[in-house]
Amino acid sequence: MTDRSRPLPPPAAERLLGALIPSPAWRDAVLGDLREEFDALAAGRSARAAARWYWRQTARLAARLAGRALVRSIRRPDPPVSPVPRKGDSLMRLLGQDLRFAFRTLARQPAVTLIVVLTLALGLGANAAVFGIIDAIALRPFPIDNVDRMVRVAGRLPDSRFMEPLAPADFLDMRAETKTLAALAATEWWDVNLMGRDEPEMVHGFYVSAGFFQILGISPALGRAFLPGEDTAGRDRLAVIGHGLWQRRFAGDPSIVGQTILLDAEPYTVVGVAPPGFDYPFGAEVWAPLALDADEAATRDVRYLSAIGRLADGKTVEDARAEFALIAKRLAEQYPDTNATRGVTVITLTEGVRDEGSGPFLALWQASAALVLLIACANVVNLLLARGAERQRELAVRMAIGAGRLRLLRQLLTENLVLAALAVPAALGFAWLGLEAIRAAMPARIARFVRGWSQLDVDGRLVLFTFVLAAAAAFIFGLLPALQASRPRVADTLRDGGRGSTAGRGRARLRQGLVVAQIALALALLVASAVSARGMLRFVNGPQGYDPNGVLTLQVTLPEGKYADPETRRRFVSDVVDRLRALAGAVEAGATNILPSSGNNTSRRLQLEDRPDEEPSRRPSVDFRSVSATYLEAMDVPLLQGRTFTAADRADSLPVALVSRNLANTYWRDADPIGRRLRLGNEEDAPWITVVGVVGDVLQDWFDRRTTPAVYVPYEQQPRLGLVFVVRAEGDPAALAPAARAAVLAVDPNQPTFDVMTMRRMISDKTIGLQFAAGLMAVFGALSLVLAVVGIYGVMAYSITQRTHEIGVRIALGAQAGDVLRLTVGHSARLAAVGVSIGLVLAVLVGRLMTTALFGAYSLEPGLVAGITAGLAAVALVAGYVPARRAARIDPLMALRTE
Amino acid sequence: MDKSYLGEFEQLVLLAILRLGDDAYAVPVRDEIERRARRSVARGALYTALERLEAKGLLRSRMSDPLPERGGRSRRYFQVTAPGLAALREARAALLGLWQGLESELEKR
Repeated sequence: MTDRSRPLPPPAAERLLGALIPSPAWRDAVLGDLREEFDALAAGRSARAAARWYWRQTARLAARLAGRALVRSIRRPDPPVSPVPRKGDSLMRLLGQDLRFAFRTLARQPAVTLIVVLTLALGLGANAAVFGIIDAIALRPFPIDNVDRMVRVAGRLPDSRFMEPLAPADFLDMRAETKTLAALAATEWWDVNLMGRDEPEMVHGFYVSAGFFQILGISPALGRAFLPGEDTAGRDRLAVIGHGLWQRRFAGDPSIVGQTILLDAEPYTVVGVAPPGFDYPFGAEVWAPLALDADEAATRDVRYLSAIGRLADGKTVEDARAEFALIAKRLAEQYPDTNATRGVTVITLTEGVRDEGSGPFLALWQASAALVLLIACANVVNLLLARGAERQRELAVRMAIGAGRLRLLRQLLTENLVLAALAVPAALGFAWLGLEAIRAAMPARIARFVRGWSQLDVDGRLVLFTFVLAAAAAFIFGLLPALQASRPRVADTLRDGGRGSTAGRGRARLRQGLVVAQIALALALLVASAVSARGMLRFVNGPQGYDPNGVLTLQVTLPEGKYADPETRRRFVSDVVDRLRALAGAVEAGATNILPSSGNNTSRRLQLEDRPDEEPSRRPSVDFRSVSATYLEAMDVPLLQGRTFTAADRADSLPVALVSRNLANTYWRDADPIGRRLRLGNEEDAPWITVVGVVGDVLQDWFDRRTTPAVYVPYEQQPRLGLVFVVRAEGDPAALAPAARAAVLAVDPNQPTFDVMTMRRMISDKTIGLQFAAGLMAVFGALSLVLAVVGIYGVMAYSITQRTHEIGVRIALGAQAGDVLRLTVGHSARLAAVGVSIGLVLAVLVGRLMTTALFGAYSLEPGLVAGITAGLAAVALVAGYVPARRAARIDPLMALRTE
Repeated sequence: MDKSYLGEFEQLVLLAILRLGDDAYAVPVRDEIERRARRSVARGALYTALERLEAKGLLRSRMSDPLPERGGRSRRYFQVTAPGLAALREARAALLGLWQGLESELEKR
């Protein structure tokens, strides 16, 4: 056997052993011996047997070494002086000494250690959980490599923060011209009916350019991705299906590749299966080539494509942004009719996925979690200060015999680091519990739209984050007490005899300052959580403009091919509505293109006959609703003026519309809106529509500051493909779900329904962000309250212990229990008063910030703030009263004798 | 300092080192004890004993040059010091003193 191929002992085992043997000479000797014997074994038997043997030896030696260190550390009495560095002692060796000493010290006071560790773990856990959310949702939401080289290209209107889709012709121009992107692909929504197997199922799908998977660096688990050229009409009846769908509907059958499946009644050949976990974009489970025909490829006025690209080597997002701004400018000059006001923006994939609302929430949560940690740190500081006072003598002795202050400081900081490190596993446990609870609370149908949700977990990054935060916290909470403790007036303390624990005046002030800070921070957090809760309740239970109780909703998307003829759509809708109305337990039923609180919206440009017309791009935008005659009644939207739609409003009758109250108020404040005429859309040949009535305003989305003006037209006159049926039930609407689903299938057996749920549920789903905010904030508020109470109690109890002697003297000299109570409760009352005053200012600031940053979802109510302030003050007083009562019962004889 | 009393295992270690002469490092020391005393020796116990004996001044050690067959590591060779020899002698004397006159007693049973 040549020297080169000789097996080596397992390096991990060698490293482990090496780390456990502090002395370099011994390390050499032991590792060398093992190596010799290993070689003999490997030559005599096998390399694997030798490796196993090596690990066994390592484990035995490690156990022995660790056990010996432990025994030694327990048995050996505390060194009278903290070890003074000898020449040649390495830093690591000193750290080892510090660590051993720290463990011994902490083990001597297990109760204090436990409380500190748990307090820290709560604070760290809260931060870790929030970091987990932010990491999954905002920082790394995709299971995609090199995600920072991916960008999204989207349209953007001037002065708008919302991103818009791209028109096909614009996309093609951009793709042809770009030099900063190595590749660019488009995607188009394609929620599709999977048919032909069991019950038809609505599957989330996307049309994608041929290069889509290559751009994302995704290779299929099975089969292949789309090839260049397959995104042309005629060659495009191909599909890649998601791993989950493959398992669910095709039982993971590998022969699926090459088979034909029916999507929207069209045959598609499956060419590949996506890798597990890949569901970009938006929980997609099926992808087909995006084939643009000649007409579409020339379209600039209809925008429905999203685009993702990969940056070329050496180019940055800024380069791409500059380039696309130029392209957009050229398009605007070349096609002023359609592109005059169109901008374009390039953002990283991860930036683009954060929906506009989540940023402030995430910031709010992280800030709140940080506050909880600060409060926790304040508690720990207090405990350590108290302990520092008790260790005064030990430290004084050490200094007296020559230990440097820096040496002591390092010792104390090491202790704190050990405390923080001990807290990390517990913190990760708390974080894991929190994340599990959060995952469980999020319905899967919504989680689909929260990118990165599926990646919510405790992972390596989270562990690292927690460790770093713990180290930072250790310095925050450790530095003050350590500085204090390592600055003893040696002579004073030693002279002080056995007591040696007089808390200095400075230290007492520091401790009181901490309690004040805790109360202030807790008040701010409590107000923030109350504001969240109120905001959430207001939107979940507040007035919606219709009656959401007792309503069942079913969504249906008609396939365009089968329902190309508008007449077929009308027949489908009227048949289904008739059947729904006839259901036992149904009061009324109707259909609409857009449901409130569904997260969807469609708007149209508005032209008014009696108003001077504006530039097409400056015409006001209104919500567009195409509804069946009975929809408004089924939803209980009040009719304020005129008439609703009737069966007489047919495709060929006079085009009519209902307008919302705010629309009527905006344009016809002083005039009768009935009989006025309007036009929807920018097409010049759009028909004039006559207003026949005014209905109440409906809350469309929780983050609308006010409801947008809406125009309703009869479904008969503008039949759409995307539909929502609503049924008002006498009793529990959910009980109608199976019958309602069956009613749809009875009209078209191949037509799946999805999102069958009550209107209440729909609202609850759409306000889930608010509910999460409220829930998390409630947890943070509760944590801060508990920690603050513990802090107040601890400080008061400690200060009374310290003053036992003084109080004893007072009682001996004739002070009554009432006097003592006044003295001690007065003390905590003063602290609470200062804390609450500062907290009030903070709370108002935080509340203001929340009301402005979060779309006006929240409002700061003075009554609420006052109530919470009073509540917190009361709790603080009780926490101070309990130890005070003990003080009042001090037996003066005992107090004086125990001196 | 107290007089060092040697434990049984310590005696075995010191004797093995004496027998091995210039070649006494942990691996052959362990072999020697296992062969001659017919008992198995845990590596950890041996290292602990060596360290303790050196700390008591009964052994001294030197490091060899790094050796390729040890992955570039040195051997730690041990040598019994004068106090070590004295301690062994003392232990032997104590034991022999107690053994004296017991041969017939042991033969009997």
